[in-house]
Amino acid sequence: MASSTSGALVFPSLKWFQAIQELVNNDPEFRRLGSIDATMGVKIGPKVFVVTFEAFECSNIREGTEFDLIDLDFFLEMTEEKWNDLIRNTKENGGADLSHTLNTLDLMAEDGLSQNATGDQLRADIFFRVNQSLQHFFDSSAKLNTVFPAEA
Amino acid sequence: MATVTNRADYWEKARESGFDLSWLEQLKENIQGETTNEFSENNTGRVEGSIPRGNVPQFGAYTFRTKKDIWAHNLTKLYQEFVTRQWSSATDIPWETIEPLPDDIEAAECQLATFFAQVEFVASDVPGRFISTMSPDYHEVRLVLLAQVMDESRHLDVFRKRALANGGGLMRMIDTVSDVVGGSTDNAREFTELSSRLHITGEGNVLTLFRLGELMAYNEAEKAIYRRCAQDEARHVAIGVLHLRYMNECNPERREEIHSYLDEGESRQSSGAGGENPAARNVLTSEALAVLLGGGKDKTDEGQKILMAIRQRQTKEYFQRLKSAGFDDRITNGRVNPALLEVYNPN
Repeated sequence: MASSTSGALVFPSLKWFQAIQELVNNDPEFRRLGSIDATMGVKIGPKVFVVTFEAFECSNIREGTEFDLIDLDFFLEMTEEKWNDLIRNTKENGGADLSHTLNTLDLMAEDGLSQNATGDQLRADIFFRVNQSLQHFFDSSAKLNTVFPAEA
Repeated sequence: MATVTNRADYWEKARESGFDLSWLEQLKENIQGETTNEFSENNTGRVEGSIPRGNVPQFGAYTFRTKKDIWAHNLTKLYQEFVTRQWSSATDIPWETIEPLPDDIEAAECQLATFFAQVEFVASDVPGRFISTMSPDYHEVRLVLLAQVMDESRHLDVFRKRALANGGGLMRMIDTVSDVVGGSTDNAREFTELSSRLHITGEGNVLTLFRLGELMAYNEAEKAIYRRCAQDEARHVAIGVLHLRYMNECNPERREEIHSYLDEGESRQSSGAGGENPAARNVLTSEALAVLLGGGKDKTDEGQKILMAIRQRQTKEYFQRLKSAGFDDRITNGRVNPALLEVYNPN
């Protein structure tokens, strides 16, 4: 699982997301929040990760490109700096604090955090429909030993 | 007649896939004669696909027996989402985190809770009237509406509990008695009319307000209430977008009529007429919102600034839903309410 020294995982990396996948798929609380059928993109600066949820689990994670975004239900986009801030905040608080929840970030950013590449709000609305599961997904990163590229 | 064609294969495949949602697709593949008729002759409460018998009174006399008046694609999948994402106001809200609040904050919180309890009552009451008027042949539509009624009942319950939980109590009822944030819901006598007003305009606006909730919550209980309710509300919006999308594709002769419902909803959404949109200006609940967002009665200017951003967000999401449903021509052809355009493009 480690992609850095001493069991630490570099954010962003495929291994980091796969570690989250493993955590939520073994977490009864994640299942209790309900089913999700969605493909979500996570755009971190120029990097893209595609996260697929099916029923009660995160079924697949892969690295993607900007060309993938058009096929996804929605994608979350921030600069690498802001993503790092979110992940640090999540670690410090055992979960995102109020100003770092996905919902608040989406409400407060001028263009939102989440969007559908084709402007299809029905698919974009899935972000709202399963928001607490997505929050749980990212909050689970508090359990990881995350390092950032400059520290790795 | 609906019959499972190959029981052994069906269960074997379902087990292999761990009973995930593909199981539902298999269920459909294994049914013989599963078609949804354009017109339903079923007036007897007969379950869709079951074998009719002749000696049953036509006791249903359903008003809605035409598929194109009520249908939407993919409702079965949406219904599964409804079912798996249910929650309880008794066990999923950390009520113990509520502590005494300053009087102005508690009063504003209770005014807003009273408002939400009232609109959620309407959002449960009105679609509830439609369910038994639809032919059982269109059971998918009935199921999502039944699930919506359950959601709205929970919202009524949870906001009532919040109003009563911390000494404030229920406050003044809002000016309207039958509407949901921009839509004159109770006037609807037809399903598309209801869905345009309730799901698209009304619930779309309430969704934005629920999303705003965590920013005006003063404890973990209130945050949990708003977060959970926002997820539910987004499902209700999906019913409307799916239905209008179907109407646009399969019943385009009703587009002009649908536009007229949207005209009315937009007018009320932007002006606050009827007093049901707290994000509009100068209504009872917008004052409560400004107090909560600003942090007190003496800090409402800050709250009003956030409200301006929220009005813009409400409008942006509404416009994008129009696009998803195929009714976005009104944005570019001059029909959309100019006040909404102004909010959307303030410069």
